[in-house]
Amino acid sequence: MKRPNFNFLALGKNIKDLFYFLGSLFHLGLENIFWIFHAPLKKNIILEQIEKTVIKSLPIVSLISLFIGIILALQTAVQMQRLGSEMYIASIVALSVVRELGPVITALIVAGRSGAAITAEIGSMLVTEQIDALKSLAVNPVHYLVVPRFLALSFMLPVLTLYANIIGIIGGYLICVYKLSISSTMYINITFEALRFKDLFSGLIKALFFGMIIALVSCLEGFRVEGGAEGVGKATRNSVVASFILIITADCIFTAIFYFVFP
Amino acid sequence: MIDEKKLEFKLGIFVFLGIFILAIFVFSIGDFKIWQRGYIVNVDFGFLNGVKLGAPVRFRGVDVGEVRAIEIIESDESKESKVRVSCWIKNSVKIPSDVSVWVNTLGLLGEKYIEIMPGKNNASFLKPHACIKGNDPIAMHELGLLAKELISDLEAIILKLKNREGSLANLIYEDSLYKKIENIISNLETLSNEIRLHPWKLLYRPKEKRR
Repeated sequence: MKRPNFNFLALGKNIKDLFYFLGSLFHLGLENIFWIFHAPLKKNIILEQIEKTVIKSLPIVSLISLFIGIILALQTAVQMQRLGSEMYIASIVALSVVRELGPVITALIVAGRSGAAITAEIGSMLVTEQIDALKSLAVNPVHYLVVPRFLALSFMLPVLTLYANIIGIIGGYLICVYKLSISSTMYINITFEALRFKDLFSGLIKALFFGMIIALVSCLEGFRVEGGAEGVGKATRNSVVASFILIITADCIFTAIFYFVFP
Repeated sequence: MIDEKKLEFKLGIFVFLGIFILAIFVFSIGDFKIWQRGYIVNVDFGFLNGVKLGAPVRFRGVDVGEVRAIEIIESDESKESKVRVSCWIKNSVKIPSDVSVWVNTLGLLGEKYIEIMPGKNNASFLKPHACIKGNDPIAMHELGLLAKELISDLEAIILKLKNREGSLANLIYEDSLYKKIENIISNLETLSNEIRLHPWKLLYRPKEKRR
C-alpha cells in the first residue's frame, strides 16, 4: 500500500506547536504584566532599550515612510488624473498612511530590525547559561529582560508611528507639489480635512498593540531556543515570521473592530 | 555602563518631537468641532436620502458645521414618524429663522450634505436647539413615478391626435378650419383697408328708416 504524500502526523504536530506557542505567549504576557506592577522598574535598562529598539530605528523608518508616501502619490496620480481630480491624492495619501501604512510598516520594520535582535540576544544568553546565572542571583529573567523591552516597545512604537505618519505625508507632498503642481496650501488643507481624530488614534492604538506583540514574541522565541548557535538562528527566524503574522492578523482584527464596532 | 544622562537627553528630544507632531495633527485635523463652540439646530425631514453622520452643513454654500445626530422620531399628534437631523453649527454663524433647508449632493462620489439658504426675512435668528422643517428631497422612485404618469398622459394626448379626435386634432388636420380663418383674415383686411381709405365711415350712421 502506498503511503499518502501528505504527512498528517506533521500537520497534527504543527497545530499542537501553534497552540503551545499561543499558550506560552499568553503566559509570558501575564507574567510580564505581573512583574511590571510587582517590582521596581530599572530605569536605565528601559532607557537603553528605548534607544536600541526604537530611536535607532528612526532613520530607516523615516526613509521607508518617505518612499511609501511618494509611491502612494504616484500610483494614485495615474488613476486620479484620469478622473481629473488630482487634489484628492492628498486625502488618499493621508488616510492610507495615517490609518494603515504608518503603523503597519513601522511595526514590520521594528519587528525585523529590533525584534530579531532581541531574540538573538536572549537566545544567546540562554545558550551561554547567562539566564541560569540570573536565576541563581535571584533575578527573575522576565522582570530583568522582558519588562524593559515590553515597556520600551509598546510605549515608544506609537511615537515612532507619528514620525512615520508625518514623513509619509511629506513624501506625498513632495510629489504632488513639485511634480503634479498642486498648490502647497491646497495639499495641506485637503490632507487635514480628510483626517479625523479617529483615524489618527486608531493608528496609534494599533501601534501600541503591535509594540506589545513584537516585544512578547521576540522575547518568547528567545527563551525557547534549543541547542546552540543553530538554535539561535532558527529562533530568530521564527521570531520575525511569527511577529509578522501576528502583526498582520492583529491589524486585520483591529481594522474590523474599528470598522464594525466603532464606525 | 551606559551614560544615562545622554540617553535621557536623546529620549527627551525623540518624545518632544513626537508630541510636536501629534500637536500638528491634532490642531490641524478637520474636526474643527472639538476646538470650536457651536450650537445645535434640529431639522425635521420626511425623507433623508442617505445623509450620513458627520456630513457637512452648508449655509449659503459655505461649510459651517456638520450633522451630529440622526434619529427617527414618532410624533404623537400626527401619528407620523419623521427624521430629526441635529446639525451642529459654529457659534460665529447666525442662521436666520426664515430659511429653506434641503439635502444636496456634492461632487464626484455623490456625497450628501445639508444645504441651508436664507429667505427674504433676515430679522430674527434661530436659537440653539430650535426646530425647523426641511424640504424633503425627491426620492428617485417618486421621480420615476412622476415621469411615468407624465408620459402616460402625453401618450393619451398623442393617441387622440393620431386618431383625429378632439379640437386640437381638428386644428391640426381640418383644412376647412384653416380656410375659414383665412376668409376671416381677408375680410378683416378689406375692412381695415376700407377704414383707412374712408375713415369718415366710422362716424357715419345710416339714416334710420322712418316708419
